[in-house]
Amino acid sequence: MTKGWNWRWPTRSGLPPLAAVAAVAGVLLMLWLTAPLVEIDLHRILGSAGKMAAFAGDLMVKPDWKYLPQLFWKMVETMEMSFVATSIALVVSLPLGLLAARNATPHVLVYRVIRDLLGLLRAMPELVWALVFVSAVGLGPLAGVMALAIVTVGFMSKFFAESIEVVDPKQVEGIAAHGAGWIQVRLFGMLPQVLPDFVGTVMYVLDHNLRAATILGFVGAGGIGFDLIMSVRLFQYDRLLLIAGSIYLVVTALDHLSNRWRSRIIHGAAA
Amino acid sequence: MSTIALRSVTKRFPNGFEAIKDVSAEIASGSFTVILGPSGAGKSTLLRLINGLESLTTGSVRIAGTPQVKGNLRETRRRVGMVFQRFNLVERLSVVTNVLTGRLGHRSWFGSLFFLFRREDMDIAQETLERVGLTGKAWSRADKLSGGEQQRVGIARALAQRPEVILADEPVASLDPVTSEEIMGLLREICDRDGITVVVNLHQVELARHYADRIIGLNAGRLVFDGTPAQLTDQVLETIYERKGMIDDQRLELALAYA
Amino acid sequence: MKRRLVPGTPLAPRPRSLFPVWLAAVLALLWLIVHHLGISFETLGYGVTDMGEYFSRYGRPDFGDLPSYLRLMAVTLATAFWGTVFALVVAFLLAPLAARNLSPHPLVFRATRELLNVMRALPDLLLALFFVAAIGLGPMPGALAVGVPTAGFLAKFFAESLERVDAGIYEGLASTGANFPQVVMYAGWPSILREALGFTLYILDRNVRMASVLGLVGAGGIGAALHVTLSLFDYGRSAALILVMLVTILLVDYASAWLRRRLA
Repeated sequence: MTKGWNWRWPTRSGLPPLAAVAAVAGVLLMLWLTAPLVEIDLHRILGSAGKMAAFAGDLMVKPDWKYLPQLFWKMVETMEMSFVATSIALVVSLPLGLLAARNATPHVLVYRVIRDLLGLLRAMPELVWALVFVSAVGLGPLAGVMALAIVTVGFMSKFFAESIEVVDPKQVEGIAAHGAGWIQVRLFGMLPQVLPDFVGTVMYVLDHNLRAATILGFVGAGGIGFDLIMSVRLFQYDRLLLIAGSIYLVVTALDHLSNRWRSRIIHGAAA
Repeated sequence: MSTIALRSVTKRFPNGFEAIKDVSAEIASGSFTVILGPSGAGKSTLLRLINGLESLTTGSVRIAGTPQVKGNLRETRRRVGMVFQRFNLVERLSVVTNVLTGRLGHRSWFGSLFFLFRREDMDIAQETLERVGLTGKAWSRADKLSGGEQQRVGIARALAQRPEVILADEPVASLDPVTSEEIMGLLREICDRDGITVVVNLHQVELARHYADRIIGLNAGRLVFDGTPAQLTDQVLETIYERKGMIDDQRLELALAYA
Repeated sequence: MKRRLVPGTPLAPRPRSLFPVWLAAVLALLWLIVHHLGISFETLGYGVTDMGEYFSRYGRPDFGDLPSYLRLMAVTLATAFWGTVFALVVAFLLAPLAARNLSPHPLVFRATRELLNVMRALPDLLLALFFVAAIGLGPMPGALAVGVPTAGFLAKFFAESLERVDAGIYEGLASTGANFPQVVMYAGWPSILREALGFTLYILDRNVRMASVLGLVGAGGIGAALHVTLSLFDYGRSAALILVMLVTILLVDYASAWLRRRLA
């Protein structure tokens, strides 16, 4: 069982398992090949530590407190964008999710087409959609809301569809056996079972959309993003810290809230 | 010389529950001791106090004269191997790798983190696998084995440590009667041939009578019996299991199943 | 003698459900917000017909600059890849410390969890902004900006998976005298390898999307090009860029899903 070397791996041949070696070698190879694309430069990396420290020092200026009211309303606008977009997406995703579920769709073709369409909606990042909508409807939160709504529909519908596909068929059968119509079967047989997951998803989406909404302003689609990028470009570091700080606070607060609410609602609804 | 000396050992859990109350015993080197007692009597806790998986509240545990302190936990565990009721193998790893983990206490260099072992470790692993009769399944994934086979891997892992003591916490509770006899036989053989001190938790009284040199009875954390199997009368069993009016052995077995 | 099925009183009154109250509150809030945001549904209505015309402008994609677009897409992919690998290394080191049943000390556990929360809370683009301002333009700050929040996500997922491993398996290893890194390496990672890899692939997929917009802040990639073509109202080129992005992202999606299926 033992060969010549002093050290071995715990395999028959004494060499490490092929899958592990291939994976590690593959990743290293890819890293090496793509390094020039990413402009990885060891000098720069080492130098950057110094630059980052200098930058952090630059940030430590007295905050511009007069900016607070404007910051507040911009943050409110950001949250509103997330809320509206999620609500619109919710209304659209419920029927779409039904159509995209194999066990609830009226026809297999409908299922296929809708699933593919949803994939397309999801494929582009929100910011790209925002670029497109700003070009279409002009600057302002409307473009942002539309961009968020579209991507959210893609995600939520798919999630609903997957939840619907795993409902207990016996419960559905029970409703159908009493002569319920097509919509009634879905409304009373499938939807109630999906409710807890549904709520969890909405919470997660609200949270995600808030983070997404904070940067849509980069391209003029509303929210705090515009102020953020401007403060960097104009070296207004006294505002930058305030903005970054408030984004962090709001996102974390919503995170905690949504976690607490999620367990409350799920356990309440399941009762 | 690997006596286990327990002196006034007490274990109180943070929630106030006193699992072990002032237990003192001296387990002779190279002996085969069985600890009997109803569920919740503290058998597991007592065993785990010996190899430091639970910490002492008061009292002392000495193995071969060396007291067990927080600092030398790793050294203690190297000398004490443990076999578990649910085997506690790493399911996704092969049998050989699982046995080799018994050597980790001796190897603290960086290479062990890359799954590299010395030749002598591989030889030890091979030897222990032969000892428990599992060379045929050496390269199988651990979770593909039957219960009895997995337990034998657990024993091989303990043996690979070259331990002075082997503790076994209900090693046959999850196994059928035939396999149980095999495992107990294996443990007894290891004790006889290698002179390793073996301490086993059991709830099957018959197995205890058959294999033990010495039996310790535990009830609600207190030592209620310490003697040979011959001294284990039904009256003594009553004290251990606190059941009145049980004289017939077979009925006792049944009662113990519910204990 | 007539026997009543339900003797005595009729059914008790249905308990008051708060649901209609919540629904009304949400709808009121929505109405308020829409007003505040200044979104007029009339203009939206007019907009929908305009939309049709607007989107038709993308109907003739102009692939004149295709090689440069492909190169930009490659940079995006590479950025996502480097960021994810960086995150993987960091998560590998931090996750065991953030697992309650593995962490060497409760304080270490708490501190690591907090650190991971901070890393996750920051949006990638915000970090990209910082890194570009600090280090300069180019894809490298972009890779870092992708890597830091990803490390937070990965480490939290790994830590939670490590916590779900049967405690007995960790104990079995500890009883042989193995130290902390050995327990993590032999009992921890092998037990969660499948799920860990699956989640990493999912994150890599998500990072490609993230990386494609980093260009907007000067961190390299295809996003900046789209911004330029749109501001020049060059719908032909914009359409081409969008198609390149779409196809790439979809391909990565399929590859990632296929790999994850093979792992399961």
